[in-house]
Amino acid sequence: MKINKILIANRGEIAIRIMKTARLMKISTVAVRTAAEPNAMYISYADEVFDNCEDISDIPVFLDIEKLISIALKTGVNAVHPGYGFLAENAYFAQKCIDNNIIYIGPSPDAIYKMGNKTIARKLAMKSRIPMAMGSEGNISNEEEAITIAEKIGYPVIIKAASGGGGRGMRIVRKSEEMEKMFVIASKEADKAFNDPSVFIEKYIENPKHIEFQILGDTKGNVIHLGERECSIQRKHQKLLEEAPSCALDSRLRTAMGKMAVQIAKAVNYHSAGTVEFLLDSDKKFYFMEMNTRIQVEHPVTEVITGIDLIEQQIRIANGEELKFRQEDIKLKGWAIECRINAEDVQAGFAPDPGRIENLSMPSDPCVRVDTGIQAGSAIVANYDSMIAKLIVSGKDRKDAIKNCKMALDKVWIKGTKTTLPFFRMLIRHHKFLDGTFTTAFIEKDLEKYYFYSEYEEMLAAWLATKLFVEENLQEDSINVDFSNGKEISPWLLNKRMNQF
Amino acid sequence: MNDKLQIKKLYALSSENRKFSFSMPLKNKIRIGKRDYIVQIKADEKLGTYILWKNRKYPVEIVRSRQNKYEILFNDISYTFTVETPFSLQRMKVLSSKRGKAEKEIVRAPMPGKIIDVLVREGSDVLRGEPVVILEAMKMQNEIQSPVNGKIIHVSAKAGTNVMKDDVLVEIKVI
Repeated sequence: MKINKILIANRGEIAIRIMKTARLMKISTVAVRTAAEPNAMYISYADEVFDNCEDISDIPVFLDIEKLISIALKTGVNAVHPGYGFLAENAYFAQKCIDNNIIYIGPSPDAIYKMGNKTIARKLAMKSRIPMAMGSEGNISNEEEAITIAEKIGYPVIIKAASGGGGRGMRIVRKSEEMEKMFVIASKEADKAFNDPSVFIEKYIENPKHIEFQILGDTKGNVIHLGERECSIQRKHQKLLEEAPSCALDSRLRTAMGKMAVQIAKAVNYHSAGTVEFLLDSDKKFYFMEMNTRIQVEHPVTEVITGIDLIEQQIRIANGEELKFRQEDIKLKGWAIECRINAEDVQAGFAPDPGRIENLSMPSDPCVRVDTGIQAGSAIVANYDSMIAKLIVSGKDRKDAIKNCKMALDKVWIKGTKTTLPFFRMLIRHHKFLDGTFTTAFIEKDLEKYYFYSEYEEMLAAWLATKLFVEENLQEDSINVDFSNGKEISPWLLNKRMNQF
Repeated sequence: MNDKLQIKKLYALSSENRKFSFSMPLKNKIRIGKRDYIVQIKADEKLGTYILWKNRKYPVEIVRSRQNKYEILFNDISYTFTVETPFSLQRMKVLSSKRGKAEKEIVRAPMPGKIIDVLVREGSDVLRGEPVVILEAMKMQNEIQSPVNGKIIHVSAKAGTNVMKDDVLVEIKVI
């Protein structure tokens, strides 16, 4: 059976991203329209739309396995792509697709399950002799055991949820006095978040870099890696900027880490695209952290430097095709940086700022790729994440990519919500970012200010405030109109317009 | 306004107490060093409202304006200014030195969501930037921070409850 019609079990930019490649491969697509955003941009990219607006269920359709399977059967697709988030790493969903004779575009349910359970993944990695932070062999059953193991490996340690991810259910413990309390908290938190109170303990690596390797495996047992991504710029375990390659790796380290990444993937007979995450400490020692069994948000930076379309590879592999390239065919060319432009207020500690996007304009340049599911008029709704767009900028080397990125950031125009743009404008000028020495602690520890503005911008804003005051209070001036290049308006008018909302 | 003609200068005071002064009548020019640069406020279909300065366009929005207080979003950063005349500035100085500030600051929910945790009690002292409430919205736990140094005088937020945008969370007496 060859894939000829795919149900996209996702929304937003990733839905569009998958549909673009499907179209190139002459495969038709089905998107699901939801009541939360019935006019979303991704709807218009699909060949067929399943209208689910009448659904009054409490769980979003993209998390509703039974519903998605029934939609797949009703629309006659023979494959499902889960995208990222939602059900992308749910072994039960993958199995359900297979049981209904629908191809799941992703790894096997077995691989998803094993990598999703951190204690099983740890045991597998240990068996494959992958370097790991010292830790407990399996789950820890009580506080006494936790203290004994922590004494053995030395503080600080980190307690992690066995079924966890995304930073939840994690607790760093620095002394044995804190252990009892932290163990109970972490276990409770894990139970609440993942319905599984099991936790394990690992040596806590201070200020590491987050380096991950992109893996591709086929169903014939071939596994290769497509180099690394540097994802250390993160806030509360949410990545904000990623780049490929990483300036922390030389070719020797890349080969060594890549080999380990391939080895762990082979340990679960991995097929499809996947990501092996490592921590890299200041002595350039690396430790296996976890494997993500899905396409990642930051996959474009790898696509840019390898020239390989990862969604296309996922579809081909799901079709049973053999990988067309070997490890030695993979050449990393140039540098790519991805900025996640989110509707967040950096002046208020990155609080989400949902709202309607009034104007949106993205730079168009050969060195810029924009992956987005948002257009002028779209709403950033509170039901979903706050991503507006991914700005992916390339260059011939890191310096060139940074220079291009700086230019591109000044050309992004978004009105309607506050965005992470001022953060990136600051970051791209920060000496620690420029010299590449930043770690995952960068945002919390090294930054005093989360945003950038040039010295004249505040003055211009002050001038505008004064202008408004003058026109409101001192009844000055009439409206000047300049038809040749945009209409000149009085701020007084602007103010009145604003009050109508 | 009879004193209109007497105003020679206006001051825009930022929330961080930076002072920008502008000569009256206000010109569409800003002087940098020895050169004047023209500032224009424009709008078009594609970009919305913007300021054109030194050949560059900056997105601009007036978020809020009340009396002489203006919140402006300029190139994705928000600034709050109060605009003062030389007289009002003088009066402000006198007043603030006489009785200090005894304002009340109301912290509201910036978005709809669920209160995960309330980190302060009535009577707690808080510092500017200190988290007072954890609000879960859009898959993220958000720290709602105190905008001022002060003392909590009322807590309306309850852990586990849902709030709408702009619901009052806590009230702080500014110290």
